[in-house]
This record gives sequence, structure tokens and C-alpha cells, in this order.
Amino acid sequence: MNARWPVIRTLFSYELRQVLRDRRTLFMSIVLPLLFMPIMLFGSRKVEQVRERKLEETPFTVAVTGSQAEAARGLLEATRARVARQQPRPDQLRFALVPKDDPLQALNTGEVDLVIEAVTAAEARETAEKARKAKEPTEPESPERTEKELAADLIEDGAPVIVLVGREDQERSRRAGERLLDALRETRREARGELLARHGFPVTMDRVATVAESSLASAGQVAGLTLGRTLTLLLLLFILSGGSVVATDTLAGEKERGTLETLLTSAAGRGEIVAAKFLLILSVAIAITVIQAANLLLYVGFKIIPTSAGFAAAVTGPIAALVLLLFLPVAALFSGVLLLVSGRAKTYKEAQMLFFPVFLLGMVPAVAPFLPGLRLRSAIVAMPVANIAVAVKEVLTGTFDWPMLALAFLVTSGAAAWVLVLAARTLSTERLITASDADAIEHQGGAPLLGRQVLRWFAVVWALILVLSTQGVEGADLRLQVLLNLVVFFGGATLLMLRRYHLDARQALALRAPHPAAWVATVLGAPAALLSGIGLFMAANHIFPVPPKVLEAFGQALMPDTIPFWQMVLFLCVMPGIFEELAFRGVLLHGLTRRHHPVLVALIVGAVFGLFHVSLFRLVPTAYLGVVLAAVTMLTGSIFPAMVWHALNNLLGLGAAELNISLAELPWTYYATAGLVLALCFYILWRTRRPYPGLRTGPRPGPGSGE
Amino acid sequence: MSQSTVVVSDLVKVFFDEARGEVRAVDGIGFECHPGEIFGLLGANGAGKTTTLRMLATILQPTSGRASLMGHEVGTEPEDVRRNLGFYSASTALYPRLSARETLEFFARINGYPEDRLAARVAAVVERFGIGEYVQARVEKLSQGMKQKVSIARTVVHDPPVLVFDEPTVGLDVLNAIEMQKVIGEFRDEGKTIIFSTHIMSEAEKLCDRIAIIHRGRIHACGTLASLREATGCHYLEDIFVHYVRRAEAA
Repeated sequence: MNARWPVIRTLFSYELRQVLRDRRTLFMSIVLPLLFMPIMLFGSRKVEQVRERKLEETPFTVAVTGSQAEAARGLLEATRARVARQQPRPDQLRFALVPKDDPLQALNTGEVDLVIEAVTAAEARETAEKARKAKEPTEPESPERTEKELAADLIEDGAPVIVLVGREDQERSRRAGERLLDALRETRREARGELLARHGFPVTMDRVATVAESSLASAGQVAGLTLGRTLTLLLLLFILSGGSVVATDTLAGEKERGTLETLLTSAAGRGEIVAAKFLLILSVAIAITVIQAANLLLYVGFKIIPTSAGFAAAVTGPIAALVLLLFLPVAALFSGVLLLVSGRAKTYKEAQMLFFPVFLLGMVPAVAPFLPGLRLRSAIVAMPVANIAVAVKEVLTGTFDWPMLALAFLVTSGAAAWVLVLAARTLSTERLITASDADAIEHQGGAPLLGRQVLRWFAVVWALILVLSTQGVEGADLRLQVLLNLVVFFGGATLLMLRRYHLDARQALALRAPHPAAWVATVLGAPAALLSGIGLFMAANHIFPVPPKVLEAFGQALMPDTIPFWQMVLFLCVMPGIFEELAFRGVLLHGLTRRHHPVLVALIVGAVFGLFHVSLFRLVPTAYLGVVLAAVTMLTGSIFPAMVWHALNNLLGLGAAELNISLAELPWTYYATAGLVLALCFYILWRTRRPYPGLRTGPRPGPGSGE
Repeated sequence: MSQSTVVVSDLVKVFFDEARGEVRAVDGIGFECHPGEIFGLLGANGAGKTTTLRMLATILQPTSGRASLMGHEVGTEPEDVRRNLGFYSASTALYPRLSARETLEFFARINGYPEDRLAARVAAVVERFGIGEYVQARVEKLSQGMKQKVSIARTVVHDPPVLVFDEPTVGLDVLNAIEMQKVIGEFRDEGKTIIFSTHIMSEAEKLCDRIAIIHRGRIHACGTLASLREATGCHYLEDIFVHYVRRAEAA
């Protein structure tokens, strides 16, 4: 049934009336931030000023040590004299030399802010050599040498080596180190000039060359870059904080109060109810965002918030209007997400709990403008929110192109529409309308419940692997990491899911023989898919620039070459072929096939597979392989061809790396031929296909009441 | 007998319960209701009364079977069904921050009551239920009895031909419960079709023209109080109810 605008208007106007009468909500979401911001800004600026003044007024305490301490003291006194010669300034460098028996201990206890170690060149070299020998013989030599070591190598005998030792974790010590280092270098430069002049070489730096920097970017563009990077993040914060206030109350709160049931027994359609509630959240989110943004601009106008010189030039009227237009789908998308979350929660409290991860996840795409060199004319245009964030940055720096802006707008608008459809479905989901009604699938268990929960399982495993890869095994044997990931995480999660959902392993993991012709397609298809994938992304490069690292990642080996080749084959080819396939083309595919169309299943499996490779540049090639392997499994009805295909794919990448062959630099005919061979392989697979059990071929059964 | 306004046949609703497995909350229920009649669904808690009425109100979707209201199928014409229905239950609450008048105007509008007659209709309902004194007050400020009156007024403000009352006296004090029974009787006298679910025997005995005894999702007897007495040989409805429940348990 089509939505009726008068009904939506009535629902919206009465809902809005109730929000405006909710004094507590209004106070918390509008009045409090308005009052809080000046207090916070004034307070923090005041504290900062006091702290700065205190830092400047109190002289830094410095202890000098080492065989060349006298020379260092001389240099310090020369520096003090030079600074004193200059016009006295409030932030003038002040330091006091303090005698200490154990200067380093004094630094640790905070008795001094800085220690200056002054030694001879020979002593410095000796110390550096001792330090090198003291290291474990097995420990690889660090490519980055300390400043002390470098200084020891380079300096002339006779001149003292002066090293400033401080504590970076202490503000005063850090500041003292930075300022004294600059001052000492300046003194050294002056001394060199005097020395040269005394020897008949009165050369100033400007006589050698004058070095200056200049930028073609206008002040407006520079300010636009700064603003463009942070604007989406800031506005998103306003949208989410404003929208969540009403979103919590609008569905979850209504369920708890019992008014939702009253509303659902009226003649208003569920789509109309969702539309009205969505418009309410959107209106409130936009209103709060505008109020907060105006509040912010007010402080900028009064110069309470400092801005760069080109701020006014960056934000002209038309630019501001364009930016606001671009933010509309973002506001719509997050309003829809908030409504969806509220719809899925059964109580007010549950909704509030669910909003927290939404806030965190929502912020992730908004940081896209911080990625260096990222342009909208790239794959980012397909990513909702992130594309608008990048688009806004380009608009504010005056470097945008209209077709890409339009595409970004459409993509994020499409995502918003999709979220709204999901929100409307929640009102048709019986278990979400009334807390008392049991849900069929939840209690039925088995494969249908796996379908609902399988992505949660993979999210948990992904998080565990991410944590492990970022900190757990640094420096440990990579073989151990591979074993842990494949056997413990993938193998363990697969077994747990089989047990939890009482699944028949043979069916859930598609452990059945494929048609014999599938093996021919597999052996031919693995290299063909690898090469054609590279070709495909090279072709896409002409439309959306693909980072070269993505193409290189297709044939990249990940293990150090100190590991024997047979072990690399085992750990990189055979084991992933077995364990990753059991997890991704086994349980994940099995869970998803009941809920989604096969094409969507292949895309989801591919995306999840890509995400598990925890590397930005490997995401695309692995996601591509994931899609191909999912398609192979669904066509053959068996996991075995995907296992062999996967292992062969990795073996080819490994072989190419071993033989120093760059798969991304082959003649184009190779890629074209590979594409044809891959098409032939899929034709064979299609002609000899065996049905994958439970595969959906028709439309999704409607969960709702037919509205 | 006049034409049926509500027709229910072979209605089934299956839930799944972790402890009990598949539960047929409603298991092939069928009945018909007519204008100017109070049709009572009498059953213990968990017998399937609320689930049946929720399916009629299109909140829940039947697992199988059919139900229609004023000729509109619940499965395919849910909005038309709800436009012809006034649904009252202990769990249908009112918006606390709307006034009594706004509540009535809101529900009249979204149920499609003609805008040109809306003010007159709201005034008539306010007059009828005696809520004029506090019609401008917000619902959150009203007493339980006042809220109950506004809630009944909300149910009938769009003048639906069919009214469903699901355990309407639960939680009410005696005087308010009697007031509620009186109002339901008046609706019947105006020619509305009323479906009334209760587990209170005296209420059913006093109000209902026909009674369906429902137990474990099935109707075990349906008829006037006189016909039920005749069929069982029991005088009191309580005894009649126990008679059918025991027979169902024994089967």
C-alpha cells in the first residue's frame, strides 16, 4: 500500500509536539550543550593560559654532567648571554644550572627538568659501541640508529658531544628539551659564523642561497583543508547526539510505555509510522545540528574559538549551502540507523546501550578525509558517509568535480533508503513489537538461527584476530600466528558453530564430491582468476585510481624468506586452503544462503573474507578471491574445489614472489586470456553445477503483515 | 441473523518456546460475530484469547487460516481492517504528553475520520464520556479512572463498527470495572459488533450474548449462555467452563 502523506504529516506533527513538550529532553539536548560550550571553552582556555604562563615564568632546571661539562656550561652561558642580548620577551628562555651528584636520578625524580651530557667524541663512540655489543646477538640490528650513535660517528675529535636527556612524558621536561636544543643550535650557528669570520670567511647563509617556502593554495583553501577534515566528524557528533535523544524515545520508549501497540492498531500503515518517526528524528537531528553549529559560529565570531586567517574565504554562502546539501543524506542515513536501532531494542535502556557502538562505528567513515592523498575519484565514492566526508573536504578546498559529488550524494542517499526499509521491517517483526511473543527462529535454532547470528560470530573472531595481530605476536614466529589464526580461530569457531547450532557437518560444510568436471575448472580457474583479477583492477584504475599496492598485493608473499619453501607452501597455501575454506565457504556461506540471494551471499562472503586479512591493500584482492570461491562453492555444491582453488591461488602468488615475477606488470594479453579462461571455467561449473543445499533462488519471504 | 461483521476460520498461530518447543497458541479457531452483539472469548490466562485478538487487529500475522473484518482480510488489507476496528486492551496506552482532546483528534485523524466532521465528533465523544472537565489536561496528569475514560473514547472516536475489548477490566477497581461494563453494553445497543475477552466468569455471564470457551488455543464450546447451560446441565458459567476444560483435558 502506498504511503499517505496526510497520515505521515499527522503522525509527524503530533510526535513533534510531544518532543517539544518534553522539557527534560529539550534541556539535555539543546539548552545544556548551549550553556556548557561557553563554560567549557572559557574554562579550558583559561586553564591553558595559566599553565602556559606558569611554564614560561618558571626557569627550567638543568643539570650538566660528563667529562666535557665545562665546555657545555660555556655553551649554555653563551646561549644565556645571546638570549639576554635580544629584546626581552615574556616567553624568553630562562634556565638555571643546578649541580647534582646523580643528574639522571634527579631527572627521574623531577628535581631537574633536563640533563645535559657532554662527553668527548671518543667517549661517545665507545659508549655507542658498548651499547651495540650489549644487544642480543640474535636480535636484528635496528635500522634506525640513535642520535647519540650518529653524532658519535660524525663529529670531529676535539669538539664536545652534547646530548640533551629529558623525559618526554613530562611536559616541562619536553618543553625544556625542545627550547634549549633550538637555542643551543642557534648559539652554535652564531659561533660558527664568528669562527669563519675570524679566519677570513665572513659568509652568511644568505650568500650561499636563500631558501624560502611558498604555497599556491590560498589562505581559504588552507583553512578549508583543516575545516574539511574535521567538519564531518563534528557534524556527525551533533547529528548522533541530537537524533539519539528522540530516537530512543520514539520506538523503544513507545514499546516500553505500550503506546506502540495502540498506534499499531490504528489505520496508520507501518511504513507511514516509520516515515513519520524518521522525519521526526531527522528534523530534530538537523535542528540540533544547526543550533549547535550556529552556537559554534557565534564563538568563532567573538573570537572565543580561534580560526585560521582564511576561514571566512573558505566558507562562502554557496559553499556552505553545498556542504549542507551534501550532509543531508548523512543526516538521513544516521537518522534511519538510530530509528532502526530503536526499533530493534525492546526497552529504552536497551536502545541506549545499542547506541554506543553505533556512535563509535559511525565515526569511523567520518575520518576518511584524514587519510593522506585520498580523493573522491576513487573507490571511496562507493562508501557511504566516507564519500561525503571526502567530498566536503574537496568542496572546502575548491578541488571538487560535480559528477563525483553527485555520485557520493546518490550512494549515501541509497544507503539511507535501504536502512529505512530495514527499519520498516522491524515494525513487521513480531518479536520486536511485543516483548512477550517468542520468536520462531530464535527458538527453532539450527541453520536458520545460524543465518541470523553467523555474522556476529565472525565479527567476534575478526576482533580477536585484529587484537592479536596488532599486539599479541609482535616479534613471535609468524608460523605460530598462522597456526593460531587458522587452527584455533577459524577451526575452533567452525567447530563451535557446528556444535552450538547442532549442524550436520557434512551438510553445513558442503563436504560432498563435486562433478568431475569441476576439477578441470578449478585447476584452470585458479591462475585465470588471479591474473584476470589483476587485469580487472588495472582496468578499473582508469576510472577510479587503484593504489599500486592493491595490485601488488595480489601476488604478495607474507612470510620472511628465511622460512623453508615447503613450510611456506604448508602455512600459506595448504592450511589456508583447508581452514579458511571451512570457515568462510563452510559455515559462513551455509548460514547466509538461507537468508540472502546467492549473488548477495557471494558478495558478503567476499567482503568478510577481505576484512579478515586485516590490511587495507590486501582487502580488495582477498575480497575478490572470496567472491570467486563463494561462487565456486555454490555452483559445485561442494567445498573441495574451493579448497584446491584457494591453495593454488596462494601457491601461484608465492611462486611469483619466489621467482621475482611481478604479476601486475605482464602484457595485457595475459590478463585478457585469463579473463576468457575464467569465463570458460565458470561456464563449465554452471553446466555441471550441483545444487548447493538450501540455496535461495526466489525473492525473500516477507516477514511483515503484507503492508 | 444479520450479516457477519467478523469471520474467523481455522485460524492458527504457532510460536516457538525454548522450553516447550513448538507451541500452537491458537489452534484452528473459527467463529463469526454480528452487529449489535457482544461475543465473549472466555478462557484462562494463556488460552489464546489475546493472540487471537492481536491477529484480528493485524498486530500478529496468522500462521495459517483466515480472518476478515467488515469484509477485509487481515492478511491482505490490514489498514482497512484497522480503520473499521477499535482495539482496547490493558496494554494499549496513551501518549502522556498529549492532552485528552489532542489524543482524540490524533486517533480520529490517523484512522481516517473526515476532517470536516472531526471537531463535532470529538466534542460528541467528550460529552458522552464526561471528560470535558479535563479535556485540555495532559494525559500524564490524569487519574487512572480519567485515563480509562479517555482510552475508551480513543477506541471509538473514529466510530468503528467493530470493537475489541481484550480483558478491559484488568487492573481496574470495582466501580471503574462496572463503568466499563456499562459502556460496553451501550456500544452493543448502538449496533456495534463487540468482541470481548475475559477470564472473569461474572463479566462474561453479565455482558456476553454468545460465549466461546477457549482452552489451549481451541474453542471447545460456543453459544448463548442458555444453550451452554442446556448442553452441560450446569447453571453457573463457572461450572460450564470447568466442564468443558475437563473434557478437553481428558481428550
